[in-house]
Amino acid sequence: DSHIQYERVGADVTMKCGSMDWDAAVTWTANGTDIDESHLNGSYLILKNVDLTQSGQYSCYEGSSWHLKYQTYLRVGTPPKEPVLMCRSNNYPKGFYCSWHLPTPTYIPNSFNISVIHGTKEMVCEKDVYPKNRCHIRYLQLFSTVKYKVTLTVTNALGKNSTTLTFDEVAIVKPDPPESVVAKPVPNNPRRLEVSWQNPSSWPDPESFPLKFFLRYRPLILDQWQHVELSDGTSHTITDAYAGKEYIIQVAAKDNDIGTWSDWSVAVHATPWTEEPKHLTTEVQITETTSASTSSFMPPPTTKICDKGAVVGSGAVAVCWTAGLVLAAYGVLFI
Amino acid sequence: MAAADSPSAALRRRDLCSRGIRLAGKMRSDVIDLLDTYVERQGLDASASVAAVEGVPVAAVERWDEQTGTQRLLENLAAYRAFRVLLAQMLEEHREQLGEADTALGRALAAVLLQVSAFAYHLEELLQLESRGPPSEEGSVPPPVPHLGLFERKLRGLGVLRELAQWAIRSTRDLRQLAKPSPGSSSAPGWTESP
Repeated sequence: DSHIQYERVGADVTMKCGSMDWDAAVTWTANGTDIDESHLNGSYLILKNVDLTQSGQYSCYEGSSWHLKYQTYLRVGTPPKEPVLMCRSNNYPKGFYCSWHLPTPTYIPNSFNISVIHGTKEMVCEKDVYPKNRCHIRYLQLFSTVKYKVTLTVTNALGKNSTTLTFDEVAIVKPDPPESVVAKPVPNNPRRLEVSWQNPSSWPDPESFPLKFFLRYRPLILDQWQHVELSDGTSHTITDAYAGKEYIIQVAAKDNDIGTWSDWSVAVHATPWTEEPKHLTTEVQITETTSASTSSFMPPPTTKICDKGAVVGSGAVAVCWTAGLVLAAYGVLFI
Repeated sequence: MAAADSPSAALRRRDLCSRGIRLAGKMRSDVIDLLDTYVERQGLDASASVAAVEGVPVAAVERWDEQTGTQRLLENLAAYRAFRVLLAQMLEEHREQLGEADTALGRALAAVLLQVSAFAYHLEELLQLESRGPPSEEGSVPPPVPHLGLFERKLRGLGVLRELAQWAIRSTRDLRQLAKPSPGSSSAPGWTESP
């Protein structure tokens, strides 16, 4: 008869060869490989201080006839540690979900049981399909001051463990981040970026349960973020961007009245509009470049390095532009 | 009185709802501050569980999204009228305890009581837009003050304020539902008697 045997890591395991007497002559194999006689005590197989590598199929054969007398599948593992449980409502006011995991693997099958109690009422948490460790609850009541108590018990052949979370309806409300964040330059505006986004699609009723938003942005070259909190609307125009600098922008959301901020959205990059560089030719072009919308950080087009009568050729023009950019960067840093 | 679905009534309703939402937001913020003061001054544990308090209107509701506009207003009004009485009782007890001393807690209680009264009046105005008008308070007897020891009274007060904070959130949500423009007609959804 074949069956499964679960043992703890570090345990000493004794296997009997079915109904064979202690002094019977037998051969044991592990995954088809003969086991040395030194591990035998009579016909018993002794495995001391088992480790995970010793999991496998153990078979016992009668000495002379090689009849299979006993077979077992040894699974070495550990009893479960206290599970990690988290509950969150990203779809308020519809309901919430709880998800869990074990901090360390047990190496053997585990089963999870979750109970959700609201006051005196036991609620049903609908489990996701295995292997997702998640279940969903629909709110039966809203605006309740009575706390929810969620207990997760994990059980395996070697033991069990559990954890409990207690919270009220509003404490676990955390929307998903805003979606479809788009940042675009504004034509003829070197200091502006237009940002727009959408409510997370998991938030069921943004009209009755409006979200507020938090925007953060910074040029890639700086570490410090600028922040803007927006109580309504799903767009915002940044008006103080540094000209010509690439920006990184993110948005977060929160219910207007309750709960906590979402994680930051996916980051988007954008660079404000800059004036098109003048046409590069091999002839010296004496131009007085003036631009009404040029920011105060752009240096005047003619510099000491790039005199109007300077050497022609695209290489020299490249030097002029580089110099211009360097000076612009300096201007940025000295704001 | 303008018919419930006339354009001017719709405008007035929207205006009352927006103002009501702001009132409820301010009230909630002040109730939360009051809760902190109350817990501190009464020497309570902020996380203390309080069993359902008798006579305190419970904000918890099932099938909230299916309520009609009238139901929402009536339930809100009944709640805030009850809180008006409860807060007045708490203020009275507080004054009995400490005499006429003008304490921070006393002032905070009085301020919230004023906002609760104002909000109740605001709800009455919203109900006036319906041909029914608000239910009268005449003849309604305030619930008797239960005979409780000092500590039990403090816990009861905690329960009252926690439930009030919850109502302030619910009222904001209710008013937003009311302010929603109706799908077809000029009348807001849920203003009819039947769901």
